[in-house]
Amino acid sequence: MSADVTLSLPERRRLRLPAMPASIAAASLWILLMVAVALCAHWLQPYTITQMDLSARLQPPVLFGGAWAHPLGTDQLGRDVLSRLIVSIRVSLTLAFCATLLGVAFGALMGLAAAHFRGPVEQVVLVLIDVQAALPFIILALSALAFFGNSWTLLVFLLAFYGWERHARVVRGLAMAANGQGYMMAVRQLGAGPGRLYARHLLPNIAATLVVSATLAFPEVILAASGLSFLGLGIQPPNTSLGNMVGYGRSYLSTAPWVLLAPAVVIVLTTLSISLLGDWLRDQLDTSGR
Amino acid sequence: MPLLELRSVSRTYARGGGLFQAPTPVHALSDVSLSVARGKILGIVGESGCGKSTTGRIALGLEAPDGGEVLFDGAPMPPEGSAAWRALRRRMQLVFQDPLGALDKRMSVAAQIAEPLEIHAIGTQETRAARVAELLRAVGLRPDQGEAQPLALSGGQRQRVVLARALASEPELLVCDEPVSALDVSIQAQVVNILLGLQRQLNLAMLFISHDLKLVGTIADEVAVMYLGRVVERGTPAQLFAAPRHPYTQVLVSSIPDPFRTTPRPRLSGEPPDPGNRPSGCAFHPRCARASEHCRRTDPGLSLRADGRAVACHHDLQETPA
Amino acid sequence: MTRFLIRRLLRAVLTILIVVVAAFVALRTTSDPAMVILGPDAPPDALAAFRKAWGLDQPLVIQFASYAWQILHGEFGKSMLDGADVLQKVTARVGVTLEIMVPALILGVVFGVALGTLAALNRGRWLDRLMMFGAVAGFSVPGFVLGLVLVLIFAVNLHWLPSGGNDSWTSALLPVFTLAVGWAAILARFTRSAMIEVLDQPYIRTGSAKGLLWHEVVLRHALPNASIPVVTMVGFMVGGLLAGAVVTESVFSWPGLGQLIVTSVTSRDVSVVQCVLVLVATTMVVSNMLVDLLYTWLDPRMKEAQA
Repeated sequence: MSADVTLSLPERRRLRLPAMPASIAAASLWILLMVAVALCAHWLQPYTITQMDLSARLQPPVLFGGAWAHPLGTDQLGRDVLSRLIVSIRVSLTLAFCATLLGVAFGALMGLAAAHFRGPVEQVVLVLIDVQAALPFIILALSALAFFGNSWTLLVFLLAFYGWERHARVVRGLAMAANGQGYMMAVRQLGAGPGRLYARHLLPNIAATLVVSATLAFPEVILAASGLSFLGLGIQPPNTSLGNMVGYGRSYLSTAPWVLLAPAVVIVLTTLSISLLGDWLRDQLDTSGR
Repeated sequence: MPLLELRSVSRTYARGGGLFQAPTPVHALSDVSLSVARGKILGIVGESGCGKSTTGRIALGLEAPDGGEVLFDGAPMPPEGSAAWRALRRRMQLVFQDPLGALDKRMSVAAQIAEPLEIHAIGTQETRAARVAELLRAVGLRPDQGEAQPLALSGGQRQRVVLARALASEPELLVCDEPVSALDVSIQAQVVNILLGLQRQLNLAMLFISHDLKLVGTIADEVAVMYLGRVVERGTPAQLFAAPRHPYTQVLVSSIPDPFRTTPRPRLSGEPPDPGNRPSGCAFHPRCARASEHCRRTDPGLSLRADGRAVACHHDLQETPA
Repeated sequence: MTRFLIRRLLRAVLTILIVVVAAFVALRTTSDPAMVILGPDAPPDALAAFRKAWGLDQPLVIQFASYAWQILHGEFGKSMLDGADVLQKVTARVGVTLEIMVPALILGVVFGVALGTLAALNRGRWLDRLMMFGAVAGFSVPGFVLGLVLVLIFAVNLHWLPSGGNDSWTSALLPVFTLAVGWAAILARFTRSAMIEVLDQPYIRTGSAKGLLWHEVVLRHALPNASIPVVTMVGFMVGGLLAGAVVTESVFSWPGLGQLIVTSVTSRDVSVVQCVLVLVATTMVVSNMLVDLLYTWLDPRMKEAQA
């Protein structure tokens, strides 16, 4: 039995997360900060986002000659940029999170269906993937939003469609590979139905890959959402989002660039952080997994 | 009545093929008939590629034969994946060659041993836990080892877990496909002994598939020797070891190391067999020292001899050649 | 091979067909162009006349049949907004879009492949890490942010370049640069991983062990083999050329296809939107298909797998 103890030790050590490089630590910190801001937006915002102060329009931020009353300055209607930024972070992150989750779930379901049923079902899924790949997201979203009207639900669903086909491809490949593996065959020959097979055995085994796939898709969803908002087709006023702020701040680019730069910096840092983290997670999975 | 019966089962795979090329049929099995009675062990021996694993998969209904039929307890095997087929899993189980591959690496072994109980709705939550502990003890593990993940166990321990899982639903038939060949030689004997003890205790019928004639000979009640998808000789181990009748069996028997041997060993000559390119007549003739023109043209077919054995050879070693 | 070709072709045709039908049904059933274009206060008989003129009073199936018939003859109808020929309107804009897209793609490919190769050859060193960080940053910055920052620096502060429009060749510089950065970033990462995979192959190591000069090994053996996935990626980018500039064009007020999409979508010019959708989807499907075929042709392993 003592031989078994020594056997199990290196296994444990291998499963522990390796040391993080500084850039990944910084990225994780930024993401944590953003999540915290999104969760506590309600308590953090100094003003409400619609509260106007027409006497204090286009005030610069503190370090550029502004007052502490508005640390990041005010916009064209005298609304506090910091407050709007905080609420925008909450709105944009929530939107991207819901959409990514939905996209992964839908993609995983389609991928599983293709791998399980094969034959005609698989062909249908493959054609759907082709169709999705043939329609550039931005054009699809533009048409849908303009013609179906703008709503939060539609926006989430549209963004969920962004990238579902990649998750479907990933899951289909993994499921087909797993179906050929011993443990899936072993459980099948125990008499297990597809529900147990996929929910209890396949999903836990491919979850890590799926999480990485979602992490890599998340920043793209943020970018797509803010691009739509920038064009005026995303979240509608009086609500606000990061893309909205950039879009509306654009008119004051020469006179009050801070209105636009504050949300732009948040978008860039957030997508950059998540991308770095996603890459790092994928590399960890590649070296420790197989 | 035998518990499991294969009646002239055949299985053909298609290999290769393209636009301008018809796929080559590969006869994995042709006209294989076998039967296993309750409480008995049938050993299947042969080189890799001889169809012994396919035989095991067809016996369990994991794969449907192209010809012939499989009877379990007198009833034909239901189609794979059907409800009847799934229910039948309770009564027949498989022990794999690679225990680590056969286990889910992300689940404790106790949870995996309990799976057949959950799937077939055997017992309640509490009785299942007790049953898992009992099974762990039966295969020589401590109940507290049930909490371990497969990666934390040794190869022999993993195979015991696979065995415990296979026995959980109290099956009547156990198919063991090279159950110990992936294990260290020092551990093989332990696992085989546990397997045999449980087989006797539970009166299991067993299909024991291996390339190791010596191992099969020591445990099986009857042995079938396979070559290129066919059974070439069948008999009790005592009969096969004392007086092999098929030249291929003779090669296998004499290749078992024996320090007291005085006569030179017969060796296999010629190319190793390719199931996609089966020689004419008796498939063994290119490698057989006794092959004649007759062997090249006519397939001998398996025929029953007076001593209850079956042999597929024109030049039966126990009959004086004419 | 022939069978693969036929199957691939059938799937491409099916995809385009689905896009055409889906776009048609979705656009016709969700809003009434007559109402939008003539306004909610238009008199009922004017609305009726508009619907009759555009065939909107017919059942959907009939509408689709005549629409499909038109398309098969290369007719995409007239703009509901101003009566101009849709196909002419769209193709005119395609040219304008390509004026910034093609130079941007060329720049992106040249810089992306060069930087990616350089990073792969210096794998693990600071140069590699710096460049890969730059690549991640490059596609983490959305086009509209990069574009606006460039405008802020070069147009608003320095007054070197125009901030938008299409008046002289200098107005193309900023949009081209903005687009090229994103592509170069993606391709640099892609080239790097393809190169690293090839450099790890035994034949490359054998080549350098045999005493071939390192740059010979890289140029003659590694790059051609690494080019297969990179070419595939570029092919997908070419497929997305027409639609890729919607946001960038909006930032720089570049009067290309993207701007046309945005205006016709907001003004519910159904026939223009439909034409653009079909055109964009067709380019995408055709180039995806060509990429697949190219892949099969370039990679001998694929040829074997399909045969």
